[in-house]
Amino acid sequence: MTGWSILFAPQRNTPFPHIHPPYGSYLPRMNWIKGSWAVLQKDLRLEMRSRYALNMLLMFVLSSLLLIAFAIGQESVGERMQSALLWIVILFSASIGLGRSFVAEEERGTVLLLQLNVPGSQVFTGKLVFNFLLLLAVDLVALVVFALLLNMVIENWALLVFSLVLGSVGLAGATTLLAAIIARASNKGPLLPVLLFPLLIPLLLSVVRASRAALSGGLGVSGALGDLQTIALFSGVVITAAVLLFDYVWHD
Amino acid sequence: MINLRRYTLIRNIILVWVTVVLFAAFLLNIPKINILEHTARNLYFHVPMWFTMMAAVFVSAYHSFQVLRSGDIVRDIRALQAARVGAFFGILGLVTGIVWSKFTWYVGTDVWWNFDPRQSMVSLQLLIYGAYFVLRGALDDPNKRARIAAVYNLFAATTTPFLLYVIPRQMDSLHPGAEGNPAFSEITHPIMRLVFYPAIIGFIGLFWILYTQRVRTALIKHRVTHDPEL
Repeated sequence: MTGWSILFAPQRNTPFPHIHPPYGSYLPRMNWIKGSWAVLQKDLRLEMRSRYALNMLLMFVLSSLLLIAFAIGQESVGERMQSALLWIVILFSASIGLGRSFVAEEERGTVLLLQLNVPGSQVFTGKLVFNFLLLLAVDLVALVVFALLLNMVIENWALLVFSLVLGSVGLAGATTLLAAIIARASNKGPLLPVLLFPLLIPLLLSVVRASRAALSGGLGVSGALGDLQTIALFSGVVITAAVLLFDYVWHD
Repeated sequence: MINLRRYTLIRNIILVWVTVVLFAAFLLNIPKINILEHTARNLYFHVPMWFTMMAAVFVSAYHSFQVLRSGDIVRDIRALQAARVGAFFGILGLVTGIVWSKFTWYVGTDVWWNFDPRQSMVSLQLLIYGAYFVLRGALDDPNKRARIAAVYNLFAATTTPFLLYVIPRQMDSLHPGAEGNPAFSEITHPIMRLVFYPAIIGFIGLFWILYTQRVRTALIKHRVTHDPEL
């Protein structure tokens, strides 16, 4: 198989079969979207039963927001501080709540079952979408409570929501791969924030500027365009790299 | 197999080279430059540190990539040692830069840390290597550690280039060539480049010596204990 025909050939499930045993090739050729959807559905159903991750995330967001509100007190906070605090709360709750997605599989002893039934990239996509949905819930609660507690004046709702959603895509991409990494570590404790925060500084800088542009006194859409492009590019690169690297973490 | 005689020859040439560069950097006359005066000699040390760290980052990322391709534990040792020596040069570059700016542009103020883009990038790279070393400590099996640490190293290498676009729009720079600052060639006299360029080569050579020595030691330890971390 040479040249352009490689683009149209049926896809192999593991990118480098000479390194890992080609688990993928024993699997039934499942539709890629169908496999990812199955993983997502499984996670959603488990989450609906216990609501553990969701409740933990929301409680973390609420309590840290209250802490910030009490610590600041009556003083008014500028729009730059508002968007910075909002994103720091979202980052910390992501690093605490989303790290469980693969650790939980190890604890339940379902890793092997998942490895045998679904190719790695589909597991990754399912988990990624699940984490993204959790992050959307975090964004929503954080935004509403923050706007009430700190008297945020939002000029451009669409821009703020768009930058929150776009930032959450990149955040979910980085967190999902790192969650798979820490599930492999022997002492999992507080490893995720240590690994995650250095990687997210470019995202944090541009996302804080984009959300700030949407608040009162901000620059509006024209001021945030470059930052939105950076966030979109960052999310694309991070998710691509994560999909490529995931198989090395997922298979032994 | 390494040709030891050739290795020793190259090592000795580099050591003599670095010694000559050090003498030249301290003893030769330098042209008078505003604000900087004699601290301009730091150019011969501070800037090559940054170049050397970039070289080390590339070497480390390359060997991490090779770990994933071949699964060879020797590649993992190389990636780790390049990261360690690179972090060392990064700290040196950071410290020389901070001290330099404090006693020239920021003299009379209380400013030690400024949010210069390059300073932020180096500190971020050091944070990433710190996380890389912590992650290695959390993994027990050498083969698994090699693979997963390589994944983290490569993943981090894909995100850092964004800083090149993001940070300069956010913060002002002290460095030449940045917006509003004179280019490097305008503020340095051509005569300084006679020492500056050899200094870059010399410090990258010094990195190579430290790196290869550390790799050899780690390989011997690995053969004795089957664990390169010990």
